[in-house]
Amino acid sequence: MSDNARDDQRFGDRVAQVLRTEEQFGDDFEESLVVAIRAERPIRSKLVRRGPVLSPAWWRTPRTLRVSPLAGLAYAASLAAVTAVAAVSAAPTPDTALPVTMVAQTRTDTVTLVRFVFVGRAQTVSLVGDFNRWGAEQTPLTPSGLDGMWTASVRVPQGRHEYAFIVDGKRWVPDPTAPTTSDEFDTRSSIVTVGS
Amino acid sequence: MYHGSSLRGCDLNDEPGSQFSVSERTDTELVNAATAGDAQAFAELSRRYRGVVTRFAVRMVGNRDDAEDVLQSAFLRAYRALDRCREPSKFGAWLYQIVANECRSYVIRRARRERRIVRDELQLRAMATPAVVDANDTLDDVQYALDQLDIDQREAFVMKHVEQLSYEEMSEITGDGISALKMRVKRACARLRELLEEAYDV
Repeated sequence: MSDNARDDQRFGDRVAQVLRTEEQFGDDFEESLVVAIRAERPIRSKLVRRGPVLSPAWWRTPRTLRVSPLAGLAYAASLAAVTAVAAVSAAPTPDTALPVTMVAQTRTDTVTLVRFVFVGRAQTVSLVGDFNRWGAEQTPLTPSGLDGMWTASVRVPQGRHEYAFIVDGKRWVPDPTAPTTSDEFDTRSSIVTVGS
Repeated sequence: MYHGSSLRGCDLNDEPGSQFSVSERTDTELVNAATAGDAQAFAELSRRYRGVVTRFAVRMVGNRDDAEDVLQSAFLRAYRALDRCREPSKFGAWLYQIVANECRSYVIRRARRERRIVRDELQLRAMATPAVVDANDTLDDVQYALDQLDIDQREAFVMKHVEQLSYEEMSEITGDGISALKMRVKRACARLRELLEEAYDV
């Protein structure tokens, strides 16, 4: 270890001493948790949930499609074309940004490749979500070649995930075509459900 | 693989004298029971691991009230995802990942909504010297300095120096490489030193 590293270690430990003060919550933490859990649906009932794979408005919301890897690739290619068509047909006006999320997925046992598409005027677009730990620099979207269309393909684990787009490094834009949820600060994020 | 003693599961080494008694159900048994709808089994998991993540959450979000909300949210999120916990014997490490993610999410969203409170730098005392860092009344000041770090640096510093995790453990929890984590800790130390020494000079 270099002298600088040792110095950092000593400094960090010194500062951290005070931060190591124990913090605890009372047992009512579990009481509140149990109340919240009992308001939930049983976990296993979620596993047997069934529903139509495609709805009439299938192109408007993120979807999970179960396909074999080869079929998935073929489907991804075809959906990319569909996405392009959708993007053109929903071309943004100069003053509006119309983010659209499309999902082409090649599923493995645990992760699914999800293609996110943003359509709108921007200098930069990035994707933040619980699947990339809300890292604003983790997942930049790249211009697709079509005017105003940005895409990124991301491996996303199964389950319900929240996400949003960061436009020009500062504007938080949920996907208006996907279900949304609000947090305690009334910030809206979009929801994508991957898998069952 | 996660080797943190504080987060180790209860499926192994439950010998007398260990943190958990042999009569308790293992993490795997509790996870299976909770997945089947036993809320009390999940409450037991919560009691088992809440102590491990509470201090981490408080340091990450900056205060106890927000941390309790964040932990409630994280534990409920863990419950919802319990059927996707692939290694129930490592429930603690898996939960830590969810808590870390929830803390990051909360801090990032809060930062968007709140104008950062500008505190008088004079309130910061000389944290750079060992003589004063163990005084109880300095906790708020050090926490404030910690809050000034960006979220990556704050998380890395808390994991390394407060929770005293190894870089291997940190890498498993965050999914980030060890080199990147070391760099974050180094930068966090540099930034903290800058903040605290500036205050001292004032």
